[in-house]
Amino acid sequence: MKSPSIYDAFLAQQGAALLEFRSRGVFKPLAALPDWFHALWQTGRRKSFRLVEKSPFLENFLADAEEFWNSRAPGAANSGNWIERDASGKEIPLEASAFWLEGKRVLLVRDLSGTFAQQQQLLQTARDSLLAHERLIRETQKKEILLHCIIHDLSQPLTAMRGCFDLLLARNLPPDIAKFVQTGHQESQRQEQMIRGILEAFSADLSGQQAAGADTAAPPDLAVCAQQAVEQFSPAFTERGISLVFDQSLDPHRNWRSVGDAPRIDRIFGNLLENALRYSPKGSTVTVGVEDCGATLIAFVDDEGPGLPTDASRDRVFALFGKGKDRPGKAGLGLYFCKMTVERWGGTIGADNRPGAGSRFWFRLPRAPEKSVAPQEAPAPAERVVRAPVSAGAPGESIEPPEKALRVLVADDNETIRELAVELLRARGHFVTGVADGRAALSAMGRAKPDVVLLDHEMPQLNGVETARAIREREKSSGKRARIIALSGSALAEDKRRALDAGMDAFLAKPFDRGALFQIVETPAHASIVASSGENAPLAEENTDLRAHLQRITGGSEKLLRSLISSFLADAPGKLAAIERAVAREDADALAASAHSLKGAIAIFNAQRSVSAARNLEGLGRARHFQGAGEKVRALKEDLARLERELRALLPQASGRRNARSTRTHRRTRPGR
Amino acid sequence: MIQKKACMLGSFSVGKTSLVRRFVESIFDEKYQTTIGVKVDKKVVQADGEEVTLVLWDLHGEDAFQKMRMSYLRGMSGYLLVIDPTRRQTLEDALSLQERVQEAMGAIPSILVLNKSDLLEEWDIDLDRVALLEERGQAVIRASAKTGEGVEQGFSRLASAMLQFPV
Repeated sequence: MKSPSIYDAFLAQQGAALLEFRSRGVFKPLAALPDWFHALWQTGRRKSFRLVEKSPFLENFLADAEEFWNSRAPGAANSGNWIERDASGKEIPLEASAFWLEGKRVLLVRDLSGTFAQQQQLLQTARDSLLAHERLIRETQKKEILLHCIIHDLSQPLTAMRGCFDLLLARNLPPDIAKFVQTGHQESQRQEQMIRGILEAFSADLSGQQAAGADTAAPPDLAVCAQQAVEQFSPAFTERGISLVFDQSLDPHRNWRSVGDAPRIDRIFGNLLENALRYSPKGSTVTVGVEDCGATLIAFVDDEGPGLPTDASRDRVFALFGKGKDRPGKAGLGLYFCKMTVERWGGTIGADNRPGAGSRFWFRLPRAPEKSVAPQEAPAPAERVVRAPVSAGAPGESIEPPEKALRVLVADDNETIRELAVELLRARGHFVTGVADGRAALSAMGRAKPDVVLLDHEMPQLNGVETARAIREREKSSGKRARIIALSGSALAEDKRRALDAGMDAFLAKPFDRGALFQIVETPAHASIVASSGENAPLAEENTDLRAHLQRITGGSEKLLRSLISSFLADAPGKLAAIERAVAREDADALAASAHSLKGAIAIFNAQRSVSAARNLEGLGRARHFQGAGEKVRALKEDLARLERELRALLPQASGRRNARSTRTHRRTRPGR
Repeated sequence: MIQKKACMLGSFSVGKTSLVRRFVESIFDEKYQTTIGVKVDKKVVQADGEEVTLVLWDLHGEDAFQKMRMSYLRGMSGYLLVIDPTRRQTLEDALSLQERVQEAMGAIPSILVLNKSDLLEEWDIDLDRVALLEERGQAVIRASAKTGEGVEQGFSRLASAMLQFPV
């Protein structure tokens, strides 16, 4: 070995061993070897030694190194990092490089201890961040699923309630009774609005949908929306002694179309007006209008209230759960919804104090692209067409009979909702067949020959989308085309898109009212996808008196009451048995489906504990794990047994036979007036 | 004595190092410490009545920051394909990794290890898909480096499969 030189000092400083490769795994040191090398491989002071037996990693790398040396390529072959343990168990991070040096095949092995910890820390931080991000996404998804379950559960009983109100209002009620029923109808409608608002605000936020729901085919006219909002809210303002006016300086002949969609624009105006209503003093005026800013339009609501606070709370006006200090709104969702929606469309929203007094709440949206603006006064988009009857068909008002009776097929596994739809449509004069699943719907198609088919989104056997596809496939040979309407507890854009893709013509969100139901069933075939009446609000109060609850939802109809209870008593044991089977077999899909089905059936009786137990089981099924499932099934059985006892006590006599009416075609009868 | 090289493959943070430590040293550390590079350990096991020295190559997990070098697999007789079932993506990553391995090495013995069986409630993978892989001949085992469940069995099954595999 050479005497110590500057190279030895350099290598020692680098913690590196410089070795010449001789042959067959034999190496000769070219400089003094560092201490770690001796500690690791105990080569002593021999002039040459074999390394391959000492390190499987080096042995593996040597194949690459030899290939490199033989290629005579410039540069070096690098091994990448690896870790060896010395006799004391200490880990030493190493890296080897092979190259040619002064005609020698050289291997440089370096100890990376100096930089390894820092490198590891950096990588650790990056990976910890990735894991945290993944966890956050999973948690968010779980919450979204939970939210959808809750929304679905909240929506189901509303359908029944509103249907019953509609049925009642179709009768000749004494004016004082009609007033109460009308109030019930309005409140259930408000409740529906709020539920849907929450769903839209949160699910869009959580799933990060971009520009969801922008209607490019028929962009909304901000001026029309503003004017309609004024008309809609005027009574509420008048009641409080506040004047609500539409900005008269606005030129109605100009183009006021923006990006976005009309129902959401309406809701934004609605939320801003509700806010103005809360803060405006009696005797003041609130003005609604739109201003032209070239490439953008600004819609505004001006009030003469106390103005915005000057402290930091002002920045939270549009924040989630942000509430005013003095007169807070409901949940702090309204303005947050406005902000999210406007921003998703590429717009901005804000609030300023006006010179003098009061505040201006405004939102700015880009103009609709020219090509999407209809050249002449186009008919309103289908979604708006259907919304009109919600008020036209409001409680107490008569709805014009349909131009012609239709053959309608209703497929929904929730018997109560199915029966209500059947009853309402039958009372309307249509021929209606009700079935409980997609397969039955396909079977019934031949004999029922429906003009219109209503398909629930989630059904056993075949779901709504699958059934629609099958119907469309069959129609290719028959040449006849039925209108297919999707029924769903969810009104998400994704669900609507799936419905359209499957060949459906329209979309009716549950809960629905009779106006929306009639309108969508009787709308001519050219109507495109449609949301239901869908303007909703607060949660149903806990019902402690089962009899009173059932009387309310059946409108006091003994026949409907018996039908509801009998159907449930006949179906529930089978559904429970399906859940037990699914748990025993650890069949997650079957558990989710059977628990979902039972949950829907129980929900109509407002049996919250049972609903919750079924929901838990559905959640287990969806999460595909069964820990604790047996316990939850036992709890559900106990709750169900209690509910069944209570329901049986309500039956005047043992008439537990299932009412087969839902699977029969109903004769057309005109509703009594 | 027979010696077999086996590699630990899979995404980062699926528990490859923890499985090796549990198997070789009977140790488990709750704290996640990412692996940089390669660690090689040895352990003698009994398989099919024979003593086999398993040379375990614990390779760093793959992600955007570190890619696996196929040269590390040279001489490998089998491998454990480790996933973290609480992270759905790790199954996808593992299967894609397996494709690359099979392209380079052919079909050699492997065991798909569903690690973290102690966190069953948080599992998020499609078990039907795993069952399908099993039907198609992929050996699968549930394990937990934390509790030790399935760890010995996993390595023993691999040792046995490597012995039976025609060379």
